[in-house]
Amino acid sequence: MSLAIPIMSHASPIRSFFVWIGGLTLILIVLLGAGLFLTPYGPAEADFLNRLATPSVSHWFGTDHLGRDIATRLLFGTFWSLGLSLMIATIGLVIGTVIGLIAALSGRGGDYALMRLTDSFFAFPELIAAVTVAGLFGPSTLNLVIALSVVSWMKFTRLARSLAVALSECDFVIQARLNGLNRWQILWRHLLPNVIPSLLVLWTNSWSRTILAVSGLSFLGFGVQPPQAEWGAMLLDGKPYMQSAPHVMIFPGIAVLISVLLINLAGDLLRDLLADPR
Amino acid sequence: MLEVDRLCVEINGALLLEDVSFQLARSEMLCVVGESGAGKSTLMKALQGLVPARCQRFHFEPANIDASEAMPQMIGLPETRWVMQDPLAALNPRLSLGRSIAESLHGRGYTKAKLRKAVEKALEEVELDPAFYDRLPGQVSLGQAQRACLARALVAQPQLIIFDEPLSALDAIVQKKVAQRMDALRRETQTAYLVVTHDMGFAAVYADQVLVLQKGRVADYQPRTTFFDSPASPYSASLIEAARSLGALEGTL
Amino acid sequence: MSSILKRVLGLVVVLLGISLITFTVSHFAPGDKAMAIAHARYPGEQGFAPEILQSIRDELHLEASFWEQYLRWLGAVLQGDFGVSYNTQSSVWSTFVGSIGETVTLSLTALVFGLAGAFALAALAVRRPGSLVDRLAIIVASIGSAMPIYWLSLLLILVFAVHLDWVPAYGTGTLAHLVLPTLALAFWLMASQTRLLRSFILDAYDQPFIETLRLRGISEAEIFFRHVLRHAMLPALTMIGLDFALLLEGAVIVEILFARSGLGALLATSVLSRDLPMVMLLVMFFATTYVVINTLIDIVQMASDPRQRQGGQPTEKSI
Repeated sequence: MSLAIPIMSHASPIRSFFVWIGGLTLILIVLLGAGLFLTPYGPAEADFLNRLATPSVSHWFGTDHLGRDIATRLLFGTFWSLGLSLMIATIGLVIGTVIGLIAALSGRGGDYALMRLTDSFFAFPELIAAVTVAGLFGPSTLNLVIALSVVSWMKFTRLARSLAVALSECDFVIQARLNGLNRWQILWRHLLPNVIPSLLVLWTNSWSRTILAVSGLSFLGFGVQPPQAEWGAMLLDGKPYMQSAPHVMIFPGIAVLISVLLINLAGDLLRDLLADPR
Repeated sequence: MLEVDRLCVEINGALLLEDVSFQLARSEMLCVVGESGAGKSTLMKALQGLVPARCQRFHFEPANIDASEAMPQMIGLPETRWVMQDPLAALNPRLSLGRSIAESLHGRGYTKAKLRKAVEKALEEVELDPAFYDRLPGQVSLGQAQRACLARALVAQPQLIIFDEPLSALDAIVQKKVAQRMDALRRETQTAYLVVTHDMGFAAVYADQVLVLQKGRVADYQPRTTFFDSPASPYSASLIEAARSLGALEGTL
Repeated sequence: MSSILKRVLGLVVVLLGISLITFTVSHFAPGDKAMAIAHARYPGEQGFAPEILQSIRDELHLEASFWEQYLRWLGAVLQGDFGVSYNTQSSVWSTFVGSIGETVTLSLTALVFGLAGAFALAALAVRRPGSLVDRLAIIVASIGSAMPIYWLSLLLILVFAVHLDWVPAYGTGTLAHLVLPTLALAFWLMASQTRLLRSFILDAYDQPFIETLRLRGISEAEIFFRHVLRHAMLPALTMIGLDFALLLEGAVIVEILFARSGLGALLATSVLSRDLPMVMLLVMFFATTYVVINTLIDIVQMASDPRQRQGGQPTEKSI
């Protein structure tokens, strides 16, 4: 039995996380905006006289095989790589949570059917399923988003359901039932607020994994297509020249690495902040 | 007011409760005692409607329930409230104490102001400052949390409150304070208490009647005044003896 | 019903679900299947007479309802008949069997080296928790698991194949060809497992019997190798079992990157050429491997835990 020690409010960690993330996002957007505003180049602006130039004062990260400024393209690529994966992770979060909570609240038959369906989807390895769907239906950004969304929701379903089921047996939910609340009121007041924190941790985790998947699939040719400035697509573009001009493949990779690392760190931070409210 | 005749609970062929009968009058306190596994929590769950149960007769006057055979559902009855063992488990960690207490008045169509007033009055009754309205369960002590649970039960002005080991999560000094407050409120509000406990000392001080459960059956059932002097079964005698040897009954008789 | 039987029944349901999802995706994939088959049957020819296409459609029931086609396909699959490739007209099963060896070799080699690396790193880290070495190990693991495996592969190729010219970059065949793909996969595996292994080893050190062994004067090295490692092995093996499908997936990606023959190359070429029977077999294989391994691990755990095995005697606590 742990003694309750009067500590900081338990609602505030989520809020402070959002302040933190919101602030970081704002700074990122400002930096990106400033970068996009300040850069004298466009993402598709080719300069054939200055191909594969090494990093210099005028081209911080050098130029690629068409003479496009790599730094500028990386800035634009942020929207592709981080934006698309954020979108996919969020789609997964919403769909997965809804299905998981429905499973937890429906009777035994409905729960069984939904969870076996989830298991079935879960069995397909993310990248292999995405390669297959995106490949069969034609490599494009839209098909990439569809393919990765289809394989992104099951984690959330499992977590939301298992948490909701465990919470349903908690005394405070039994109290709510004894006080006459119906299952939707219980869902809204008691289950959702206690499920969301863990789902948010999973969501950041899913976001960083999806960044790897989006850029990886684009690099393999199944995702965002060149000449778009997605980081994986940039690597694909630069691959034939990596021997003579390694910088075309170094910088996009570092961009992916740093983004994933930062988001993972944010996820760890969030998990520590939200560790057991009791 | 409450009358239960020959209550049985059978799950997957195992008879967990057999022919448990008792009666409870207005503002009376019935203590159900027995060692763990004797069927105390099964009795709680049967009354909560969480396990299937049947009985010869079930009469609950405030709600006009008079049934036989199947146990009627007591879920959502405005006349009954529950107080559970672990206050931190019984309170949603992300809901303020005030809102948890207000939930007990769910469905009565109170305005926000009236709700707040009722909750603050209930907090006062259990000797908590109205400032506790906005506290979260993690920010208060166990004793304070259990008081909030008591307030949650009282605010609905029920005819019957069922307690499941209400003091066992608290330390000794807090136990005594909460127990005294519980008892005073019972007299003030004329509420009947059904207290499931293994604390013989508590039963010896506060109970009007004592019911001893052993292996799912009633081993003893009589008024407190006679129970401790002339236990009706060797089992209740041994329970009293054990409590006495631990000093739990000192100064209570 | 015993919980093991329930679990096996669940497995059957999930396998049916997998087959249905696989079939649905392939059924609605764009492209004229009759045309694809005609191209494979009569290589070199261009336009096909409508009668030929129609006869193919009739022969393979391509115009039947979705459910009829699904059941026909499922029936054939259950008898071990996965169909013939649209590309080569040979049985996809035999092509699959011919390629799986490469992938399994790569996966297992990487598994051995990756785990050895992870254990070494974790063991170094736990010698003094919170020390510089420990933090360094965690940082390496964090960076490693954030590193895109395709980028790591490119770096390896750049350094070891292009600049140093020690090993070949692309292709299959000699042992030397196996070095870089194994290195990439093993590093990724090591990075992703080190942190968990570290916590398993720390848990093992927390066991009361370790203190007893110390008091008996048994050396730290012996405690680590004979007792701690064995104790940490069980959760680690469970975790690796659960991640085995992930490892296969990683192997497939690495194979595509290093242009190795194997399931990865098979998947890439058959997806891009819309060779549906091959794609369906491959996808079913990965999904089935995953669920079967998971079920086996569950059953082993159930069998070793008598409380779960009995499954259903009610006690006062369980209701």
